[in-house]
Amino acid sequence: MVKISDTEESSRKYKTDEDFDSQYFKNIERKTNIWSCIQCGTCTASCESGRWTALKTRSIIRRLVLGDLSVLEDPDIWLCTTCYQCYERCPRDVRPTDVIMELRNYATKLGNISPNHRAVVGYLKNFGHAVPINDQIRKQRVELGLEELPPTLTKYKEEGDDKDLKKIEEHLFDIPEKKEDKEEEE
Amino acid sequence: MARDMIFAFFLGCLMPNRYPQIEKATKFVMEKLGYEILEMEKAACCPAPGVFRSFNKGDWMVHAARNLCIAEKMDADILTVCNGCFGTLQEVNKHLKEDENLREQVNEKLKLLGDYEFKGTIEVRHMTEVLGWDIGSWGIEDHIVRKVDLRASIHYGCHFLKPTTIRELDSSEKPTIIEDFIEVLGVEAVPFNEQLTCCGAGGGVKAYDGNASMKIFGEKMKNIDEVKPDIILDICPFCHLQFETGQDYLNKNKGCNYDYPVIHIAQLTAYCLGMDAESLGLQYQLMGKTFDFGAKVIKDKEAA
Repeated sequence: MVKISDTEESSRKYKTDEDFDSQYFKNIERKTNIWSCIQCGTCTASCESGRWTALKTRSIIRRLVLGDLSVLEDPDIWLCTTCYQCYERCPRDVRPTDVIMELRNYATKLGNISPNHRAVVGYLKNFGHAVPINDQIRKQRVELGLEELPPTLTKYKEEGDDKDLKKIEEHLFDIPEKKEDKEEEE
Repeated sequence: MARDMIFAFFLGCLMPNRYPQIEKATKFVMEKLGYEILEMEKAACCPAPGVFRSFNKGDWMVHAARNLCIAEKMDADILTVCNGCFGTLQEVNKHLKEDENLREQVNEKLKLLGDYEFKGTIEVRHMTEVLGWDIGSWGIEDHIVRKVDLRASIHYGCHFLKPTTIRELDSSEKPTIIEDFIEVLGVEAVPFNEQLTCCGAGGGVKAYDGNASMKIFGEKMKNIDEVKPDIILDICPFCHLQFETGQDYLNKNKGCNYDYPVIHIAQLTAYCLGMDAESLGLQYQLMGKTFDFGAKVIKDKEAA
């Protein structure tokens, strides 16, 4: 039989002074309305992803309010499609989509980001596009009577001018490597 | 205020690099309606709100502001046909106009990218909003060359309307802007269950977990299949991609047999304004390759 004390609830990593980045938490507090949450569950009930996946928005906000930093390693925060249904319907204007965005920003700072997402950042820095062009589409563009390449940064790079792309690469979206856990360092 | 009847056409990524037929159709429609369409030299990804805003919201704003500055220098409002680009550019434009501190911070970092300074002199418009409200069904009527006879399942997508407090366009629970516009083209909107739910592609989910994305999409297709429309009508190249590749995936992996043509509102409007069927580019798409708009034409005038 499962005892209450064995459930996930009690095994959570609650905040301690050591592992808690209070500055970042203050940012989340400032930018969202997490303290207004009354745990009504309208977000989870409206969640189009959560119907099919493990994403439970209400629970994520609860854990955040309790300072449970395991949310930053929880893959579920990456299952939000940002459809904004919870944002629209929340009776307390918590803006859960924004909360999840802030958590993803925080997770990214710790290097908790999937290889596929890292690849998308690479495309932006290399081509100026999250989805770069390919040979088939170049041909298709010509057949349709359009320029083979649109006048975006990819075209300038091909013509030998990659100054803008270099600046974007240097100054934006610097994604850190995943930080090793404290225990592993010791 | 930027100049009237002129738009800086923001291409984004998916339209020019996957569905150039939508780019072709948009230019055709806007020019038929008397607008001048300008190219945005050196523009880049908006950047996509689902992925890049998730990674670093500050950098997302700076990169978006760079695109906005290109249009400001052209003294033209931005036109986009993508919900993602609209989501990013409209939102960043609004925030930077309203929040002086934020604008200063962003402008400071913008200097690192070149000669850019956000001034807040333009608006960002989605083509659907221009067609639905600036032109309207009353304004498009005189331009119509072909009137079709189609039943369409409309997919609004998420970021065209939501968050409603930022977009300030239409209701997110019962919007009517597309329905009101397409009726005069001869298209009947066929409602279906859970019509306004997400296609499952956004928020970086398609890249992060393709299976989850397809589960959300599978439900969407099941609901659409119940009403058997002639076409699926969308207003976003990313939803367009999801409906195209998603039907293909469900056919190959889940025993489905879908072949619903996926049509962007620019393609539909272009056809009704006289663009030849070949330029609509259905032959390049995965679904409804042989779908013939022409067979359903009920009124054919000489091209205006």
